[in-house]
Amino acid sequence: MASTQLIARGPGKATRRHASLVATLLLVAACGSSTPSDAPASGGTASEGAAGSPTATDPAATRGPVTAASLTIAIPDDPGSALNIYTANQQFDPLIDLVYDKLMGPSPYVDEPQPLLAESVTQVDPSTWDVTVRKGVSWQDGRPFTADDVKFTYEYFRDGIPNRYTHHTNDAPDIASIEATGDRTLRFHCSYPCPELGSVTFADLPILPRHVWESVTEPAKFTGLPIGTGPYRLTEHAGGQYLRFDANDAYFLGKPTVDQLVVTITKDQDATFAALSSGEIGIAARNVPPELIAGLAARPGIRVVSTTPLTSVMLRLNYERPPFTEPRFREALSLAIDRQALVDTILLGQGRPGTQGYPHPDSPWTNPDLSTPFDPGRAAALLDALGYTDTDGDGIRENATGGPISLDLQVTASEPARIRAAELLVGQLNAVGIGLGVRTADAGTIRSLFGSRDFDMYIDQGFAHELADPDQFIESNRSGLAWRAGLAYPEWDRLVAAWEQTTDVEARRAATFDLEALFNRQPTIIPLWYPNESWAFRPDAYDGWSETRGYGIVNKWSFLPADARAGRIARTFD
Amino acid sequence: MVRRVAVRLGPYVLVLWAALTISFALPRIAPGEPLDYLLGYDAGVLSAEERSAVLAQYGLDRPVPEQYVAYLAGIVRGELGTSVRTGRPVREMVAGRLGWTLALAIPTLVLALLIGVPLGALAAWRRRRRTGVALTATALLLTSVPAFWLGLIGIAVFAAGLGWFPVIAALPLTTSGPVVVLELARRLALPVLTLTVGIAGWMLLTSRAAVEATLGEPYLQLARANGIPERDILRRHALRNALLPVTTNAGLTLGALVGGVVVIETVFSVPGIGSLMYASVLARDYPTLQGAFLVTVAAVIGANLLADLAYPRLDPRVRRSGR
Repeated sequence: MASTQLIARGPGKATRRHASLVATLLLVAACGSSTPSDAPASGGTASEGAAGSPTATDPAATRGPVTAASLTIAIPDDPGSALNIYTANQQFDPLIDLVYDKLMGPSPYVDEPQPLLAESVTQVDPSTWDVTVRKGVSWQDGRPFTADDVKFTYEYFRDGIPNRYTHHTNDAPDIASIEATGDRTLRFHCSYPCPELGSVTFADLPILPRHVWESVTEPAKFTGLPIGTGPYRLTEHAGGQYLRFDANDAYFLGKPTVDQLVVTITKDQDATFAALSSGEIGIAARNVPPELIAGLAARPGIRVVSTTPLTSVMLRLNYERPPFTEPRFREALSLAIDRQALVDTILLGQGRPGTQGYPHPDSPWTNPDLSTPFDPGRAAALLDALGYTDTDGDGIRENATGGPISLDLQVTASEPARIRAAELLVGQLNAVGIGLGVRTADAGTIRSLFGSRDFDMYIDQGFAHELADPDQFIESNRSGLAWRAGLAYPEWDRLVAAWEQTTDVEARRAATFDLEALFNRQPTIIPLWYPNESWAFRPDAYDGWSETRGYGIVNKWSFLPADARAGRIARTFD
Repeated sequence: MVRRVAVRLGPYVLVLWAALTISFALPRIAPGEPLDYLLGYDAGVLSAEERSAVLAQYGLDRPVPEQYVAYLAGIVRGELGTSVRTGRPVREMVAGRLGWTLALAIPTLVLALLIGVPLGALAAWRRRRRTGVALTATALLLTSVPAFWLGLIGIAVFAAGLGWFPVIAALPLTTSGPVVVLELARRLALPVLTLTVGIAGWMLLTSRAAVEATLGEPYLQLARANGIPERDILRRHALRNALLPVTTNAGLTLGALVGGVVVIETVFSVPGIGSLMYASVLARDYPTLQGAFLVTVAAVIGANLLADLAYPRLDPRVRRSGR
């Protein structure tokens, strides 16, 4: 019997031209800013170790303080609530993670998460795990953290009002029971083998304080400031304006490096980078678009670093609507798309073509042998074999009843890169005889297509939870996102049955790889590209940044001392 | 008397009811539902009971007619429900945003009137001279410039460049006491000035057209014949009679400013009603949308009512015809 033990030890062209013009103007104007570039900006108040005059070309010269009294961070969207995990969606996970901890960390997206609130987690048998929680940890209100809080959280998510974690406690995996076996120990039983519980589930679910949440019957209406065990306490939430976090000096991994974080909501991209240039903010917590990277990097006092995000821009296909019901058609569609051309034209090379399939190639749970190449010849051959031929000579194939193979593609109107991708896809699919019409809609409408099923295809962006959490991959093939439970797919069902019976983590990984290989042979989701991600910040405000895969650089590990980061995070930039 | 008030207010009540009904229906007709935002793609794995349990927190599990009745009854009681996106009472959220919006809208309108109306009158008075032509051309240019573009240029020059104003309006206040007013004024100066440019242009054009229409009137010739100075003729006779269309325009503008400056709010990070409405549309947050619409509708109707009430004071002919 396998036994695992982990012991505690990290646009359309015109639009883009316009955006570039305005951004360039903003940057040029900012060069005349009254804020001296070699003085600490108001975006952060350095408390020690300020560097000398920084330059853009020599990163070493821009090294700034790794501690600060305060730091202002601009985020593009409003979490709405005071980080209530029932209403704040997953894009705010890095902020939620400042307040809450998980049993394991930093996330389920790394190969070997390390114990965090857990002292140790041990797989006893294929369906049973023992957890010992860390000693001496307190909630931010001073109450002691106990194993009972862990038991309460998992049961609250599993049995209470559903939230986004619920299906990770009652389906994949299915935690049948949790029993207290001692003051600091718990035993988790699953209804079928759950070898990934230690490295995925325990690294995914934030732990809530029982004394706060046990009386909450309508969790979505909970408006209190959150109490966690994390390194920062949310002390003020001004709706639509900002969130203020104060350091939890008693944090069990050490005193945070920045005393206060002010997270301001700044929706406009150009205004955000202007505020960075003027020193009003210390970091822009948003991706720097490819066309702005060079200009920002050349600006004295600003540093731009790149990370590897677990995101992908993808085509979602309606596999319940012909011709997508035919697996070979979906395969032909994938083969007809020149993803390299999309990256070269739209991203100016700042990304990777989506030729390594779905979910994300950088996830430790993604089959490294996946390949989704561009092969229009094979695509045409597959379409021929399906009987789709151009009978009227208009360049578009017809099906057996004479109807044209003409598809509809919907795109978010506020995403110029995706609109441009749709325009390019028209030409690429036309080249193999598939007609394509493009429509734009607001983000809310695009998001609703998943439920209404009123679409042929739409372009969407997937994030880390979908693209790097192996349990979510299973769920996505049950929820309707990639496939729907109950829709016949014998080959998939056979592989899932085998997946369920795997008893150790490596066997489960191998079974996941098999599922992914099948998925990418007849995909219902086609990655177009895996974006690069760049972050712009002022080293003179704060320069202790580190990357946590899937969370970018604005994450709690960037504000923890070096010994707390060791072994848990991917990369540091300080 | 009661009948007169009822006759005057009746259409407004009817319009308010129609607007509230539309604001209830529109978000529900639009594709999507709050669960799409709350649970994203995970909504697909919920059973019918689980979906109901989530929606019951907001009363959205009930039949639509029942929701409609509850919505109207809530408005009468001053209750606007709970936001799906934030979990907070909508009344509280809208009240928090309204202050920012009014802080933008009222100074903008006042400035636009102070600048646009006299200049419009001057443009009409000197319509065949360089001054009139230049003023009219400038107004046309200013009303044609997109506000967001003007805002970004303003940020580039006056905020990021010269450092006179902050880029972000909604950072935590660093002052307390009466100085807070000055701090807020500094933060809102750039968005107010940006909005004022375009709206003052509109006011100028409206005022110019209205004054120009009075220029051929016999009473102006009579005033001249009586030897009244040109400046007084313009101020007391021409401009006074041109105030009705300007007042109408001001009322409409105030209503539009309450809900319609989302772009300026976005560029300058001002957390007003417009940005609240935009975020709520994306999240299909029905209760918040309804609350934000209510405020916007109330502002438009209220501003028009004020304009309506002001007419008799501004023009004796209206007063007489109303008797």
